[in-house]
Amino acid sequence: MTNAAFPQVRIVPIRMLKPRTAERLLNMLAGITGIRRMMIHGPGLPKIVPYGPARGSPNPHSDRRAIHVGDAEIALSLQVGEVILEVEDASVIEEIRSLCDGFFVKFPYRLQEGRFMKTAPTLVDYAKYGPDADTTLIGLADPRNGESPVIIRTEQ
Amino acid sequence: MAYKPQYGPGTSIVAENRRKQMNPGQKLEKVRSVTDEDIVLILGHRAPGSAYPSAHPSLAEQQEPDCPMRKLVKPTEGAQAGDRVRYIQFADSMFNAPSQPYQRTYTEMYRFRGIDPGTLSGRQIVECRERDLEKYAKDLIETEMFDPALVGIRGATVHGHSLRLAEDGMMFDMLQRNVLGEDGIVKYVKNQIGEPLDRAVAVGKPMDQKWLKAHTTIYHSLVGTAYRDDTEYVEYVQRIHSLRTKYGFMPKEE
Repeated sequence: MTNAAFPQVRIVPIRMLKPRTAERLLNMLAGITGIRRMMIHGPGLPKIVPYGPARGSPNPHSDRRAIHVGDAEIALSLQVGEVILEVEDASVIEEIRSLCDGFFVKFPYRLQEGRFMKTAPTLVDYAKYGPDADTTLIGLADPRNGESPVIIRTEQ
Repeated sequence: MAYKPQYGPGTSIVAENRRKQMNPGQKLEKVRSVTDEDIVLILGHRAPGSAYPSAHPSLAEQQEPDCPMRKLVKPTEGAQAGDRVRYIQFADSMFNAPSQPYQRTYTEMYRFRGIDPGTLSGRQIVECRERDLEKYAKDLIETEMFDPALVGIRGATVHGHSLRLAEDGMMFDMLQRNVLGEDGIVKYVKNQIGEPLDRAVAVGKPMDQKWLKAHTTIYHSLVGTAYRDDTEYVEYVQRIHSLRTKYGFMPKEE
């Protein structure tokens, strides 16, 4: 079980990020030791038009593409609005803050501390993953779309 | 004395812009030019150059009942020809877009004939006869009521008006109907319901922040004019709110 005592922060830029910028930001964050879990959040970009008169037709979108973070490839299916992080302790937050201060130069951002990510499985998670689910992965991916979280290994 | 509409209260630039858009006596500044064919492509109701499909025979061909109202009201061009009723729908960003759903409806009711607008929080649709629609759509797109980045022509899947803008200043669109090119010009690559177009339709460059702030019709304390700074507007709305609330008790103004 993930310890609820681990601090969580979220990075909220004033503009939503393009894949290239998101890739740079995530790679910068991946270099920090002490980040336990990371989640990107934002409005979705479906492959198929989900409703309306054009329902079912393909939906080409230049922001829905794969990015590389560390050694992993992440297929972005959303526009990056915020990055939620769970860290080991408060000192990591300061490191994130100092790196983000240098990163967001064209537009401002906010670093907020709070609870933004699940720390215990909910009923939906139980129904989807069962009683023996790996609780460190709970809440990192939408249980409905069948995609699992990506594990990033960085050379330390 | 003849009644002269005041259109709205307020002393701020936002209030001024609202009155300007609503007042049919004021000519709206033309900012860009889009061809008739481009409009037809974006609307996606018929193929460019094809005849207007009709819903009924033209009024000249059919027998009209003897009705005093019909003698009084001259039909619009589209109604005269018996066109189908079609629509255009706009989504306007809250980050200083030049028009907003309610504002659009007020403006259209003052300026256009034979329309049926529908107003929602983040989008506004206007329905009318097809050839009237193309004429009105041209007005709405070419004048200062439109901004290529902050206003979306979206028949369906409109989500985005209240979201943060993208890095390049474009309002979020799940279907990416309009894209900002390398040359700084916004082009529509899909029609308003999200079907890909055979060719991209250019609608011009996004306006700069200064222009948007000077032409917007929305109050926004962070990026534009704060509502509470317009004391006359606040006073007016408070008065209406107060009178509406007290109405059941038969209020009497001193």
